[in-house]
Amino acid sequence: MRVPESIFRKIKRLPGVLWALVALIVFFGISGKGFFTAYNLINICKQGSILVIVSMGTTLAILTAGIDLSTGSVLTLSGVTVGLLIHSGSPISVAILAGLGVGALCGLINGYLIAHLKFHHFIATFGMMGIAQGIALAVTQGAVVPGFDAAFRKLGDGTIFGLPVPVVVALLVVVATSIALYRTRWGAHVYAVGGSEQVAAWSGINTRRVKLAVYVLSGLFAAIAGVVLTARMNSASPIAGAGYEFDAIAAVIIGGTPFEGGRGGIVGTVIGAAVISTLKNGLNIIGLPTPWQITIIGFMITVAIVLDVLYQMRKDRVAS
Amino acid sequence: MLKDRGEPILQLRGITKSFPGVRALDGVDFDLREGEVHVLLGENGAGKSTLMKVLAGVYLPDSGEILLHGKPVSIRNPRDAERLGISIIHQEFNLLPWRSVAANIFLGREPVKGGVAALVDFEFMRRESEKILHTLGLGIDPDTLVKDLGVAQKQMVEVAKALAIDSRILIMDEPTATLTSREIDHLFRKIRELTSRGVSIVYISHRLDEISRIGHRVTVLRDGKYVGTVPVQEATVDRVVPMMVGRKIEQLYQRTCRKPGEEALSVKGLTRKGRFYDCSLTVRCGEIVGLAGLVGAGRTELARAIFGVDPYDSGEIRVFGSLMTQRSPSHSVQVGMGLLPEDRKGEGLALMLPLKDNVVQASLRRLFPTGLVSPRVESSVAAGYVEELRIATPTVMKIAKFLSGGTQQKVVLAKWLCSHCRVLLFDEPTRGIDVGAKAEIYRLMDEEARKGAAILMISSELPELLGMADRILVMHEGRIVKEFSRDEATQEAIIRYAMGKGDDSSASA
Repeated sequence: MRVPESIFRKIKRLPGVLWALVALIVFFGISGKGFFTAYNLINICKQGSILVIVSMGTTLAILTAGIDLSTGSVLTLSGVTVGLLIHSGSPISVAILAGLGVGALCGLINGYLIAHLKFHHFIATFGMMGIAQGIALAVTQGAVVPGFDAAFRKLGDGTIFGLPVPVVVALLVVVATSIALYRTRWGAHVYAVGGSEQVAAWSGINTRRVKLAVYVLSGLFAAIAGVVLTARMNSASPIAGAGYEFDAIAAVIIGGTPFEGGRGGIVGTVIGAAVISTLKNGLNIIGLPTPWQITIIGFMITVAIVLDVLYQMRKDRVAS
Repeated sequence: MLKDRGEPILQLRGITKSFPGVRALDGVDFDLREGEVHVLLGENGAGKSTLMKVLAGVYLPDSGEILLHGKPVSIRNPRDAERLGISIIHQEFNLLPWRSVAANIFLGREPVKGGVAALVDFEFMRRESEKILHTLGLGIDPDTLVKDLGVAQKQMVEVAKALAIDSRILIMDEPTATLTSREIDHLFRKIRELTSRGVSIVYISHRLDEISRIGHRVTVLRDGKYVGTVPVQEATVDRVVPMMVGRKIEQLYQRTCRKPGEEALSVKGLTRKGRFYDCSLTVRCGEIVGLAGLVGAGRTELARAIFGVDPYDSGEIRVFGSLMTQRSPSHSVQVGMGLLPEDRKGEGLALMLPLKDNVVQASLRRLFPTGLVSPRVESSVAAGYVEELRIATPTVMKIAKFLSGGTQQKVVLAKWLCSHCRVLLFDEPTRGIDVGAKAEIYRLMDEEARKGAAILMISSELPELLGMADRILVMHEGRIVKEFSRDEATQEAIIRYAMGKGDDSSASA
């Protein structure tokens, strides 16, 4: 009784962006030649997986009323780390762990600056965005690290139970985040910190630890995305992650988690990421160049925010 | 009623706490017995809330000790207070609007199921919340989001939160400030139930009429100092008010000129649906008009609409006879109207800017018509006001954030004087300001009125209204329900109208 009811309520609370996704799929299904092929749909899922993984961390940061601008650069740096280590002869597992470690470390630095040294989240992660990007360019001397053996490439184009590995990894990240956010104390505290840091602190919540963990996870997720992307592309480019922070933030906002923090969640973000991936893919198919794709995504962010504000205003008016 | 309720369970000894520029608490003593409601009384800024925040672990005292059951304890953070069974219900609600009632009740101590993952036991939270809400006689669904609750319900959620951790000591900071009389009756019933179960309550208030209904003992603070404790039977107005205000009451308020001139501000039938309805008022030059009412009566909203910050649906505003056609603060300033907002730090001052920039902020067009700004002129203009208003600052370059509350208020006033505003809207002009600085603000208000300013003063402090205003308007639920002349007005009458019980045909929204 309880469970279906609460699921129904959750569906009711889903952002209207779900309908935007349906509309996009229908639109491209009709107008885009080759959109509705199995190959293309799987491709969207693979592309979307990377974005979903990154945007889980971004959701956490925005839920605490913070932000992580460094995810794209951290993704790049982790991918480059893995690529270079594999080429220098490290075992794949060691290389991957090192890549993830680099991402988590970047997140730890962000988190420490924000939670303990009271840096503004924008400043701390903006700085990290430059630092990680710069290091990635420096260690590769600006060149792409190409070509890996089949074992590593499996992470990008292999399948598990018929599902592409990137999709499986994204699912695992989403499930893990969902449990952490909706089923643990820590998750409740993420919402509390975003809702009101003072209320959280006065309720005895260790707000610093909550924020530190949020940024470590955001860095770690970016790194996971970096590893998967490197395998998928069969190369580690020092600009591979550029723009991912923009898409991830867009996915969160379009998915109904506002910048004020304290409300929203990852279901909306997954849909938001799906909208962006579908949009990019579809626009490619109908031949709209990348600059216009970016413009349209930017436009969608604005529309999403306007709709959210209007929706809240209407709800408040009904309530009063 | 038991006169002596046994040994004190909680004792505070010589608590001292200073903030930059203010000694908020100065060697305060306080004790609490089991099952009693101990009223903490004092004017705004007397130190009541600060003392309780020390007890709740929000502030660390500079010196003094806290004894619980006779043993010294240290309360370094809210968690310590919670562990010792002390809960505080803040004036501003300490709730997360976008989370459920259950999540708020268990915030910071969510119960976990056993097992490896230690997942939150939502079922338990819901059940327990329901149980606690039920004992409080509340039929709220624990899944409701707090933002969808009414004020009184939010308050009871705060109480539920305290009960959920089995608090033995409950601090309530002006719990009735925003409640209706029926909600107050309900709250008082709940308080009696709690005390009969041995819960001790510190009840902060400055409403004298409530005390005899609910309290056992009354302790009075004044200017951060302990004045005395009396049993509630002896806590008559005649006894307690002098303790609260000291002997300075006559000198505190200075009001000299009483010859109103031409009509400066005229508001007719101003309405903003849901906030205020059909409000009409006039303020003449040289006049101070008070605007009384409970929190939430719509006074601030009215002032903001007059100033042009908020919109209104119908009605008209005239300043010196000319109709205000543009609704914007910038237009208001041009015609000579200034607002000294309730939230001084958020809306009145640019906190990170030097004093001089704040003073000239509304006068840049007047002072520098060419568009080129001269810091030298700014400084000399600001220095003039520093001298005129006796603003306590070493230099005009002092950053506004580091000035004391009273000095900040003077800077906001200087800003409007500098822009040659003759219609001044004061919203709670002395909130959070110590008594000495208050007297200064009153002196300045009087002086400006004498020089011909028209002043509309919103205040929740009745003595201040009675002391300063030539006429007092009372708002209740968005309507101006009564006007008193200076001679007619009494505290009791104002309170009666403010609570909507002025006469039989009182307005109800």
